[in-house]
Amino acid sequence: MHGETRRMFDQLLQFLITGITVGSTYALVGLGFAIIYNASDVVNFAQGEFVMLGAMSAVWFLGVGLPFPVALLFAVLGTCCVGLALDKFAIEPARGASVVSTIIITIGAAIFLRGAALLLWGKDIFALPHFSSEEPLYIGNATMLPQNLWVLGVTATVVYLVRHFFDRTLTGKAILACACNRTAAHLVGINVRMMLLIAYGLAALLGAIAGVLIAPIAFTSYGAGIMLGLKGFSAAILGGMGSSMGAVAGGLLLGVLESLGAGFISSGYKDAMAFLIILLVLFFKPSGLFGRKAAERV
Amino acid sequence: MRRFYGFFVFAALVLALPLAFPDNYFVTVVGVTIGLHIVLAVSLNLFMGFAGQISLGHAAFFGMGAYTSAILTSRYGIDPWLAMLVALAVVAVIANAIARPVLKLRGHYLAMATLGFGIIVNIVMVQEVDWTGGPDGMSGIPGLSIFGWELDSDLKWYGVVAVVMLASVWISLNIVDSRAGRALRAVHGSEVAAQMMGIDTARAKAQVFVLSALLACFVGSLFAHQQAFVSPDSFNFFFSIELVTMVVLGGLGSTFGAVFGAVVLTLLPELLVVFEDYEVLILGAILMTIMIFLPQGLFVGLVQGARSLLARRRESALVGS
Amino acid sequence: MTLLAVAGLEKSFGGVMAISDLSFEVPQGSVYAVIGPNGAGKTTLFNMLCGIYTPSAGGIEFGGESLVGRQPYEVAALGISRTFQNLQVFFNLTVLENVMVGAHLRSHRGLYRAAVRWPGVMAEERQIGEWAREALAFCGLEKLADRGADSLPYGALKRLEIARALAARPRLLLMDEPAAGLNDTETIEMRELIGRISEAGVTVLLVEHNMGLVMGVSDTVLVLDYGSRLAEGPPKQVQNDPQVIAAYLGGEVEHAEH
Repeated sequence: MHGETRRMFDQLLQFLITGITVGSTYALVGLGFAIIYNASDVVNFAQGEFVMLGAMSAVWFLGVGLPFPVALLFAVLGTCCVGLALDKFAIEPARGASVVSTIIITIGAAIFLRGAALLLWGKDIFALPHFSSEEPLYIGNATMLPQNLWVLGVTATVVYLVRHFFDRTLTGKAILACACNRTAAHLVGINVRMMLLIAYGLAALLGAIAGVLIAPIAFTSYGAGIMLGLKGFSAAILGGMGSSMGAVAGGLLLGVLESLGAGFISSGYKDAMAFLIILLVLFFKPSGLFGRKAAERV
Repeated sequence: MRRFYGFFVFAALVLALPLAFPDNYFVTVVGVTIGLHIVLAVSLNLFMGFAGQISLGHAAFFGMGAYTSAILTSRYGIDPWLAMLVALAVVAVIANAIARPVLKLRGHYLAMATLGFGIIVNIVMVQEVDWTGGPDGMSGIPGLSIFGWELDSDLKWYGVVAVVMLASVWISLNIVDSRAGRALRAVHGSEVAAQMMGIDTARAKAQVFVLSALLACFVGSLFAHQQAFVSPDSFNFFFSIELVTMVVLGGLGSTFGAVFGAVVLTLLPELLVVFEDYEVLILGAILMTIMIFLPQGLFVGLVQGARSLLARRRESALVGS
Repeated sequence: MTLLAVAGLEKSFGGVMAISDLSFEVPQGSVYAVIGPNGAGKTTLFNMLCGIYTPSAGGIEFGGESLVGRQPYEVAALGISRTFQNLQVFFNLTVLENVMVGAHLRSHRGLYRAAVRWPGVMAEERQIGEWAREALAFCGLEKLADRGADSLPYGALKRLEIARALAARPRLLLMDEPAAGLNDTETIEMRELIGRISEAGVTVLLVEHNMGLVMGVSDTVLVLDYGSRLAEGPPKQVQNDPQVIAAYLGGEVEHAEH
């Protein structure tokens, strides 16, 4: 029936729009994971907290009276500093630690940041104003907010810049070199500590940008970081831990799958989607969609 | 053998405490919670400390025990002890099923897989309202009685939980210095060498994973009957992290370390009620500080420090004379 | 009597042929050495014998049983034990505990029995301890039994790995570069230890770079080059084989002879 298919198509389109928007957040978070992992073989469980901090601090700066763009800028830069501090004070001192130890350290950092946010801002939910207008746009019978376009546009730009950074600049390549072989990187004169610092700062920056982009639509609170972090990690695994562009693709895919699942199957289990994907990928193709397989020498 | 002197002292302390302070809230009520947490930490230590693995989803097995017991006893009127056996069987099946694929993973991937598992279980607890009562939880869970002896006072619960807790500590100490325990610790040390010594490492890891899950499930059932109420909030990701913190705080691989970690982390929020807002912050700070500066754990670090202090005293005494 | 027979063994990684058409036999009770320049495929061969790698083609027979496709722990159960080029000592255990793990296959009490101190578990513990101390004494490490393995110097660690492997009472002991990193005195001690191991009835298959050790202790030497067999025979014969000399020294000796 023409009407039925039309309605399904509208629904599908709506879910896709929502999915890609949310997926962009996951993509940026996942990208942050991938960058840190590429630089240091560490999975930073605090990645989601950068998103939360970006959004929450933007709300705060706005509340203090700063003009909107300035508040956004301060929030993003401030979170970047938190990322640098994380590397300097938590990761670097524990440089030779085992994998389990480092995981626990970053989890500790995530919880610490969450606790700090709880202390500073309480349990309330906050929203940022939309960047431009709040008037919905219509594509067929599906609605799209201008904010959605902001999310997509800024994400695309950021991803492109990050790609350029790693592919074309010396610093970017130096960071990748550290992941491949830290000793060799040292020997050719790369300041490994500085590279790691940059990697963490960059990841925090990306997280914060994702945070301020999505806060007008999805709101934010002190506890928002955990789920976002986990889903971003899911995106990174889906794309393949070694591949930054894979993480982006994974994030978008995850957002869409989640949205379709919530729409067509059950909205309560929406969050479970991400974790189900993690389990399936880890069981059947741990190297993800685009990742490389690592060989182990005996 | 040395380890067991400590055990007897510990057991004596635990059993004497309620005799000395029969009406003290901290002993009878908090003591029960501490006891349950100790079993959870000790069981997690078997998996994380001995076998060197990581699980961020241990709370899920605790919750499965609690909810299975709760549902079977309050909705279907089944005898609590029978319900407990069913819960153990259910967890045995599930843990065995996921053990092989999950334990093929290492490091971060293993952490994420166990995390994912724990969160999915928690989401099911929240979503399946008809079975579990949803996010508001389930109340009206019947009490427990042992051959007609009703567990209707805090003191009685303390006794039962203390016995269970001491049994689990005893089990853990037995395992450490046994062929099977050494095999696990060997897997932690070098998986390839362990294999060359004839150890089926995949099977060893799966076995200890299931054992730790069963212990958690058992105390989950006890928890449900003791509280007469369960809700998904008690079995979430955050609690899994708390359990990891307990094991890490004490020292991975040390049974008494796990006991120490459980005691400290359960008492801390009770003592810092004033600082409830700071609780999350402090937990995070503890995790970071310990793993950065004292990765062998606070308890193990203290014991080692005490030992070397005594050794130095003995040396200087010899030199002096 | 042949204990280990390798026939037509091949291993390729991607397009690289690490081992091609390799065949040899190790007589029971002998000391059989495999030498060759770096990259010749010696460790790949070892890993295939242990079940860590699966051969691309060919067969491995040990005491009549095929080893191909078996897991490392199954290979160990058949009576093969191993030491490693990159030390794989259990640094989280004591010296004694390391060797006790070696005796894993000679005992059998499982996790649940151990958990409840089932009758027989404690007796088995004592027995394993005795076996371990015997193996430690054989390697001269009995005084260090209760020290943490992480406190031992390098030379002692190499001997610890040997003690651990011997505790399993293997029929065949694979030794991956036992003299690597040892000084002259320690190398002589190692040579003597290997001799005693052979006298005790254990067949030894070793991979080694140190020619003095190899020539002094082996009954037969196999020379590998680029994954295939270059020469095989008693040490003196192999030492004077011109092809072997050329492979190691690049033909310079030939020029000197002109």
